[in-house]
Amino acid sequence: MKKYAMVVDSSVCIDCKGCMVSCKVQNNVPRGFWRNWIKQTTPDFSLGKLTRTHFQPGGCMQCDVPTCVQACPSGATFKDQETGIVHVNEPLCIGCGNCVRACPYGARFRHPEKRVPDKCDFCFSAGRLARGIPPACVDTCPTKARVFGDLNDPDSEVSRLLREKPTVRVTSQNIDTQPNLYYVTATEPADWPGDVEFPQAYSVMASLVNPLVKVAVGLSALGVAGMWAKQAFAPDPEDDDQGPEARHPESTASKQD
Amino acid sequence: MSEKMIHRHDKLSIFIHWFNAFCWIALLLTGLGLIKNEQLNPLGAWWPNLMRSLFGGGENLMAVHQYLGLIWAGVFVLYILLRPRETWLFLKEVFRVSPSRDMTWFMKMNLKMTLGKKGLKRFGMTPDMPPQGFYNFGQKLFAQATVLGGIAIVVTGVIMFLSPLMLDNPDPAAWSRTIHYLVVGLVTAGMLVHIYMAAISKEEKPAFKSMFTGTVPEHYAKHHHQLWYEEVAAGEKKAEG
Repeated sequence: MKKYAMVVDSSVCIDCKGCMVSCKVQNNVPRGFWRNWIKQTTPDFSLGKLTRTHFQPGGCMQCDVPTCVQACPSGATFKDQETGIVHVNEPLCIGCGNCVRACPYGARFRHPEKRVPDKCDFCFSAGRLARGIPPACVDTCPTKARVFGDLNDPDSEVSRLLREKPTVRVTSQNIDTQPNLYYVTATEPADWPGDVEFPQAYSVMASLVNPLVKVAVGLSALGVAGMWAKQAFAPDPEDDDQGPEARHPESTASKQD
Repeated sequence: MSEKMIHRHDKLSIFIHWFNAFCWIALLLTGLGLIKNEQLNPLGAWWPNLMRSLFGGGENLMAVHQYLGLIWAGVFVLYILLRPRETWLFLKEVFRVSPSRDMTWFMKMNLKMTLGKKGLKRFGMTPDMPPQGFYNFGQKLFAQATVLGGIAIVVTGVIMFLSPLMLDNPDPAAWSRTIHYLVVGLVTAGMLVHIYMAAISKEEKPAFKSMFTGTVPEHYAKHHHQLWYEEVAAGEKKAEG
């Protein structure tokens, strides 16, 4: 069992966008969409010579508490326990967009042609991991800001970095998503993401429709059980006249029983 | 058996009933298997897991559910196109409700089924029921639920089917699923009563048999569907005279 993760040293990122481009090429990411990104701080020019911008490479964090998976009713979006990667099972997906909205990082988009979510899977479906080569973004990075590996392997570079250096994670305000993307020492910008927001269609289904359906079916089952018990243990004596033998059609001709 | 039998259902009605029953059960079971989410699955994780291993993966389960649903809806559309008059008469019968007669019937029937005739007397009511037509009010209610529910289920189902194929806005699919689940749940609640009444309760045994043979005994028609029986009897008299 593996647990793939990424450790990023954002202080060495030079914002060359090589990771974004190589990802797009490797995964045929459609025009106008990106599976990964480089965020940046707004420079404070009042500092004069000391003015600097901090660049922060990112992508799907393959969270241990994936809110995208929580928002998916069918399990089309799932976290593979063998690798720790969050995948999309496209034929099982109806393209409802729940997961895209429930991701606080904006790491997903709805593919304009396939109309199902698209996201970083550490180049798993591109076949790179099976061939033993790191994800395209990691391979391309000229300053080696992005480091990829297996956290369950104590000898991997990500494990070594986590052991030897202090790291931080970027998490949502209201839910700790426990991301598997670590930043060495510190990172900026840190004022994102905001709260995880589950789409209304999902919240209504989870908190209103589901209990309502359970109560309705439960009450109905209870009623049926009551009628069944009544018939089994305390039948009306007249019920016998339903059998053809003991019937008197003449005497009840004008009355319903 | 010398009991006179009265024609109640033709072969096509019987076929469409059991076709509907089969599709409903199969779609309900596969549909429940598609809800694999701790917050949502009403039966727990074991059911979606079982269905997925039976069908060889969630994507196959989804395909079976979708295509069976489309066949189910398609057969009904075909029926409506082939039998527009029968469909119209059925809808007219099912949605025509007499408030005073049917509400009294409904209240009394509920008491009678749970508390018995003694229970009815305790509330100061006589055990006789207001006369009913081809369908009693309980049957009408469930038929209304299946007709309106069926339309909602098919429309939302088709939206979900089309969503990854051609809908650029994901919201209709998201809301369709919520509505789909709600309506199926409510109709299922009614279906439990429907199955009990037909297959388990002694009173409606002849009606259950008629869903195979097409006919009911005369005394049953007279007692349970008096208004319909009178219509049939009058029609027969006319034909004779």
